[in-house]
Amino acid sequence: MIDHSHSHGGGHSHGHDHGGDGASLPRLSFEWLDVGKLRGVDKRRWLGGAAVLWVLSGLYIVSADQQAVVTRFGAVVEPRVMPGIHYALPWPVDSVTKLKVRQLQRRVIGGEAPDTVLGRLQPLASQFLTGDQNILHLRVVTQYSVAVPADYLFRSADVAQLTGAVVESELARRIARRTVDSVLTTEKAAIQEEVRAGAQKVLNEYAAGVLLASVNIESATPPPEAADAFRDVASARADAARIVNEAQGYANDVIPKARGEAQQLLEAAQGYKLRKVNEAQGDAARFTQVAAEYGRAADVNGRRIYAEAMEEILPRIKKLIVDSRGNLDLTIIRKGDGPAAKP
Amino acid sequence: MIPERYQRYVPAAGFVVGLLLMWQTFYAVRETEFVLVTQFGRPVYTVTSAGLHAKWFFQNATFFDKRLRVYNPRPSEFLTRDKKNLVIESYVAWRIEDPKRFVETVGDPVAAEMRLHDIVWSGLSASLGTHDLEAIISPNVEAVKAGSMLDALASTTGRSALAEYGIRVVDVRIKRLNLPEQNKQSVYARMRAERERIARQYRAEGEEQALSIRADADRQRDEIVSAAYKEAEKTKGEGDAEATRVYSQAYSKNPRFYKLLRTLESYKKIFDDKTTAILSSDSELLKVLMRGESAQ
Repeated sequence: MIDHSHSHGGGHSHGHDHGGDGASLPRLSFEWLDVGKLRGVDKRRWLGGAAVLWVLSGLYIVSADQQAVVTRFGAVVEPRVMPGIHYALPWPVDSVTKLKVRQLQRRVIGGEAPDTVLGRLQPLASQFLTGDQNILHLRVVTQYSVAVPADYLFRSADVAQLTGAVVESELARRIARRTVDSVLTTEKAAIQEEVRAGAQKVLNEYAAGVLLASVNIESATPPPEAADAFRDVASARADAARIVNEAQGYANDVIPKARGEAQQLLEAAQGYKLRKVNEAQGDAARFTQVAAEYGRAADVNGRRIYAEAMEEILPRIKKLIVDSRGNLDLTIIRKGDGPAAKP
Repeated sequence: MIPERYQRYVPAAGFVVGLLLMWQTFYAVRETEFVLVTQFGRPVYTVTSAGLHAKWFFQNATFFDKRLRVYNPRPSEFLTRDKKNLVIESYVAWRIEDPKRFVETVGDPVAAEMRLHDIVWSGLSASLGTHDLEAIISPNVEAVKAGSMLDALASTTGRSALAEYGIRVVDVRIKRLNLPEQNKQSVYARMRAERERIARQYRAEGEEQALSIRADADRQRDEIVSAAYKEAEKTKGEGDAEATRVYSQAYSKNPRFYKLLRTLESYKKIFDDKTTAILSSDSELLKVLMRGESAQ
């Protein structure tokens, strides 16, 4: 990321390996120091060309993803040079340092970094203590970029280490104020944002020139020694949800059925009412009609209706006809007797 | 005097000597550095501003890194006021502030860190000894005073360190809180017990909720069905009443005929094949049977 390109391209022109007579220089002789040996025209051309190259070597390009800092004898003169072609005084006066300001850098806190060569596990490094004195294993990845190039370059000895330490301390503090459940479930996002904001504030106090892009809790797991108990809580939660769902299912089944049943009752009652009223009206109409006719010849009709009814009734039943003037011997009624008529 | 055959090297040699003198006189101080100028080993003055500076060629410039450094003391165990052990990992952000003092007392950063370790350790130890564990870790935000406690620690530590060693402690922060290794097993046991309790609670609460949902459903069902029953019976009653009204209205126009019809209707239903009727020959129906036409 840091590209120390001291603009000294033209500097070589001072050296002895330059110039038209380089091949003829004798070893271990100081003759070449005698600039007077050069002819006047050659000397001027030599020095002029060198001077032009030296001046031109101050040109430098800052590419689109970079910003540059220019220092003069070590002191910052241009704290932030934006992309483009620029000029700085040549070596050894000015020095240009280019930085890829937008490039995000990663720092892993807790847990084992995925890019460690040895792949060692660091169980202690990942342990955090929650407010309710539970131990949690966390792996947090923070990403940062350059906010102020000059500060980033010159204010701290090891930006990555400083950023890591600040984020870690903020993280430890936030975790220590929460319960294990909130860390594992609901408040992950809130913790991430609080840590990012808190760490950014501290880094600003240090003038580290760092912009924290994100703090991301990649994994938060209970220690292996208690992992199964935590899993059981999760399954208990699932169990609870399941039985609640089942009950909900029961309710969803029972209530519509009850509504159907109620509707059925109401419809049946309506039907019953209609039937009763219709029947009554029918019967009444019939009766009214018949009664009107009956009224015209009550005696005859009465007798006819009576006779018709008797015709219908009497064939079905056992009959004993007794003389109204004689006594009746009830012993004649015996079980199993078929219908019989006795004079 | 210089022999003639070397005369022509004089300008070049002078140039070289001039360069060496310039090299010894001018020096660039970077933004990241302090320079302590010493004369025959004795500190003369300190340069704090970056840029090109000059000194006498017989003086020496020693460069010191003035950038902020992070020092991580080893994790150590501390005792809180309520006699609980805590393993604390901290970091110290520090930098050299007074190079003269620094070079006189500690000399190099490694030695400085050893001093810092002692200062921070005793500071933390004293500070934690006046706080309960609750004040450092607790889900209760009000109870946690760790932040203010450490700010105080940083400022006191900073002052003492500066005065003695020419360094400035910018910040001391707790990076990690942990419990001692020998307490871990009991902590895990407690965590397990706590989880088991929570799991039981979840299951019981689920059961509770399920039961109440079921009971509520049953209640709703009974409510719906009984309300419908009430309504249905009312409707039926209305039907019956209406029917009765219609009947009575019609029948009361000719009660005698109704009586006849209804009586005959009843007979039809009352008498079946198990009925034995004893009929008097005097009866209306049989009069003719017995006595012929005259009976009319």
